[in-house]
Amino acid sequence: MAIRRTSTERWLFLIINNLFLIFLVLTMIIPLINVLAVSFTTDLESYENTIKLYPREPSIEGYITLFQRVAIMRPFLNNVFVTVIATFLHVMFCSMAGYVLTRKSFLGKAIVIALVTLPNMVPFEMIIIPVYVTIKRLGLMDTLWAIILIKVVTTFSILLMKNYFEGIPKSLEESAFIDGAGEMTSFFKIYLPLAKPGLATIVIFQFVSQWNHLLPAVLFINSPEKYTLQLALKSLVVSQELTSTTQSVANNTRMGGIVIAIIPLVIVYIFAQKYFIKGIMVGAVKE
Amino acid sequence: MSTSRGEVTIAINACPVPIAGQAHYYEDIAIFLLVAIENCDMQDKMKTTSVLLQKLKRTRVIYLLILPTIVLFVIFTYFPLIDGLRISFQDFRFIGESRFVGLQNYVEAIRTPGFWRVFRNTVILGFSNVVLTAFVPMLLALLLNEVRFKAWKRFSQTIIYMPYLFSWVIVGGIWIFMLSPNAGIINAARSLFGLEPVYFMAKEAYARPIIIGVNLWKQSGYICILFLASIAGINPELYEAAMIDGAGGLKRAFYITIPELLRTLQVVLLLNIMGALRIFDQIYVMRNEVIAQKIDVIMYYVYVRGLVQFKIGYASAIAVMIFLLTLIITLLAKRLIRYTV
Repeated sequence: MAIRRTSTERWLFLIINNLFLIFLVLTMIIPLINVLAVSFTTDLESYENTIKLYPREPSIEGYITLFQRVAIMRPFLNNVFVTVIATFLHVMFCSMAGYVLTRKSFLGKAIVIALVTLPNMVPFEMIIIPVYVTIKRLGLMDTLWAIILIKVVTTFSILLMKNYFEGIPKSLEESAFIDGAGEMTSFFKIYLPLAKPGLATIVIFQFVSQWNHLLPAVLFINSPEKYTLQLALKSLVVSQELTSTTQSVANNTRMGGIVIAIIPLVIVYIFAQKYFIKGIMVGAVKE
Repeated sequence: MSTSRGEVTIAINACPVPIAGQAHYYEDIAIFLLVAIENCDMQDKMKTTSVLLQKLKRTRVIYLLILPTIVLFVIFTYFPLIDGLRISFQDFRFIGESRFVGLQNYVEAIRTPGFWRVFRNTVILGFSNVVLTAFVPMLLALLLNEVRFKAWKRFSQTIIYMPYLFSWVIVGGIWIFMLSPNAGIINAARSLFGLEPVYFMAKEAYARPIIIGVNLWKQSGYICILFLASIAGINPELYEAAMIDGAGGLKRAFYITIPELLRTLQVVLLLNIMGALRIFDQIYVMRNEVIAQKIDVIMYYVYVRGLVQFKIGYASAIAVMIFLLTLIITLLAKRLIRYTV
């Protein structure tokens, strides 16, 4: 009804709105296309002051430099190692903790809830100095385990799993208990298999956050052979072209580094988009 | 059990009128009752002991399941939190005795002009981020919600969410390159119009707008999806009623959608506030010495002073103060917007 009455106004709005959105999407896409295009240019072309949305003469010179001279493979594999181990431990421990929070009442439940939820109020950035001291005392300095261990458990994932477990009907568990099943069986055989969407959500969020970790690597890693991807990229991509005159790496190699780091994220995003949206919602409700 | 048997016996004995022939009958009932009570009692007792045992067993398993989480939180969150407080009162050193110096680190921090400079930068950048990355995504969500063509809507949603997935090294790297006078796309576009290249990352005047803008570019999609999801949750009857009353699109947005989004807006503002003082990665990646004066933030300052120059006690004192400030601001904001966890 309203649409009919104000049809010209409405059409005008829709056109402007869509034009605006197209503009917006372009500001998101063009940088990415530009990065991809430059990564496939020749060394020479990558320095030309032109708008590059596709390489004029496609070349993998940049990638050859990236893998041979820059040796990006080592940081890349280190990153895979950290991400896989940290995600596995994260999912295991957080789902276990989330399950415990759904138990009716046990001695010290209130304390457990407090211990598990309070760390949400402590941003990692604000305790870097004592964490650095702790890692040093534990003898974990300059090891990939330092990066893995500091962020294995998060309140966010524990609460997300608790929410998921609470959505599973109690009757399943009760009938299992009558059959003599213990908490372990109930957790591994009943709850865990039924909480697959919840598990998928925390796997993906942890994967992304571990893949992108920077600060822990900056703090704990010194030896170049233990560099993780973001740390290696930082020195490659963000060359201080203003202050240093030794820019030895061409633009195509720098953008190639970005492409390499983005690929796993984009793959995960394409296959698991719905879990991202779920996770966002739960996160906002629970924070 | 014995008492209950006694009581039943008494009851039988106390039967006021022992009628002949019926006594037997009473005794039968009593015995039946006794057996029933005894059985019942026995079962109960067996049940309670086994339940108790089971409960204990289960609780043990429960503690086992929560143990790794608690241990990790204690080692990497609670202990450092307390340790940080202790260090902030010390002239800390890794080798040798750390001296207790009282409030000296705090006094020194407050007296250093460098601290106030980064504090000011943090407040300016943090405040802009809190406001912009709440209202801009809300506007985007309102506009995106008006799109009728489903596939286009989903596509644009997917695309604007993407930068949120990328690390600050990637996002910073992309933008530094795009803004670069050395083959950056923006300066290449300017040269098409015969304009001189601009050294965007080397101009103090551009520094803060660039940092704020790039942050907006990275975070908007994520927050926007949050708003879109809450719009999807609004009761459609409200819109139908409004349409019947003849309310146009703008009116519907102002009188239905925006009021319904207020709660989400509160949550988003709170999330932004909690993150405002902890900016680190973006600055670590995007700073350079030319613009450092305008954009160096507290957490970067703490990192450099503490772990590059090893003034550990001094840096700890600043971290403690900022942590307390964050707590206070968060609690105040929570109270102010009456948002309960």
